[in-house]
Amino acid sequence: MALNLEDYYLPASLQEASTLLQRYGAGAMVVAGGTFVHGLEVRGLLSETVALVDISRLELRGISASGNGGISLKALTTLAEVGKAALISKNPAFGCIGDALRYPPRQILNVGTVGGCVAAAAPLYDLPAAFLALDGQVHASLAGTQRVIPLNDFFVGLFESALQRGEIITAIEIPAPAARTASAFLKLETNANDLSILNVAVRLTRDQAGKCTDCRIILGGGVGETYVRASSAEAALRGQAAGEASFAAAAAAVVADFEAVEDHRASAAYRRHIAQVYVRRTLATALSRLG
Amino acid sequence: MKTIQLLINGATHEVSIEADETLLQVLRNRLDLIGTKKGCDSGGCGCCSIQVDGKVVYSCMMYAVGAAGKAITTIEGLGNGGTNLDPLQQAFIEAGAVQCGYCTCGIIMNASELLATTKNPDEDQIRHAIAGNLCRCTGYTKIVDAIKLAATRIAG
Repeated sequence: MALNLEDYYLPASLQEASTLLQRYGAGAMVVAGGTFVHGLEVRGLLSETVALVDISRLELRGISASGNGGISLKALTTLAEVGKAALISKNPAFGCIGDALRYPPRQILNVGTVGGCVAAAAPLYDLPAAFLALDGQVHASLAGTQRVIPLNDFFVGLFESALQRGEIITAIEIPAPAARTASAFLKLETNANDLSILNVAVRLTRDQAGKCTDCRIILGGGVGETYVRASSAEAALRGQAAGEASFAAAAAAVVADFEAVEDHRASAAYRRHIAQVYVRRTLATALSRLG
Repeated sequence: MKTIQLLINGATHEVSIEADETLLQVLRNRLDLIGTKKGCDSGGCGCCSIQVDGKVVYSCMMYAVGAAGKAITTIEGLGNGGTNLDPLQQAFIEAGAVQCGYCTCGIIMNASELLATTKNPDEDQIRHAIAGNLCRCTGYTKIVDAIKLAATRIAG
């Protein structure tokens, strides 16, 4: 790639990585799987980058149970490893994660990381939409100081996150889902290697009578500079009996929740239409997982 | 320039490279391992697929410095010393799965990971696995046939 790199570092510890990032300031960028570097370069966003800090050798890998039914995904866990985790695939509440991993090609799943896809802050990416639907939290470290950032506050703009300069994501934590919760994700794409036209991730909780007591509806893809939480669609569903009628109401409401992008992948009108179809289908899939 | 050691097809190669050279560039331009093809050079076509530690990756998206010390396998590393073909290579010939041939090495490196991890994959699994590799000649039918044929032979 045509970068003007002075050096490429493989730090052995988080501390060493932090020191490098502080030394280079705006001239350094963190890489893990590295699959996003090209995308930034072709957009002309790496003209100041003179050092890449490859954190892929740090001990930040693995998925574990946390708290009372939640999960913790360390930042360097690859997407392929997430796809294989029984802790996730056996729990319908985390169904949206498995769905989101059905789309990227093997070559990306094998190197792309949990932390990297979130840090990229690109609403066109699939897995972060699923994490948002599950109220995920980012754990980040800056020169030894840890902090927690809710994903809801994390995405600031296109390729812009709440991370401070030098701050490194160490894990994504998913809180314990409520009882009778399921989730689902759908992506509309032109081919396996393209970015999404539209993504929908939903989480649905119902009570014993079948009423929807809580839900999240997240939109990604061509919906603007950041992911969108579809609040009006959620409001149309919350408190209603979970089923065809309330899903149709949520679908009708979703058009008020986002400004559809118009680009070479699809027109804005098409995106508005397909958002309704996909909200309905994704909710139906989540409901079917509740058995 | 940086001097690094790359472990490719079981042999160690010491190369002096620029910090921003991708594995694809080093394989083709510095080591003359030209079985790995340069297509889109942006992670979209799959021609440059190789394996790193047994996992298929796009070599155009991986920096060579970052691959130091890892076990790299290219199409030249399949089979035995260039005389005995790998079951996948043999099956691609027999099934007529090669037309212009530009995508072939990448698809074989991808299918090689699939067959190492999945015994007798069905058609859906094969098609899903090679979704990140484009072929603009064959329409994929004969490629899928070839992978099935190799899978059957490997399973015995």
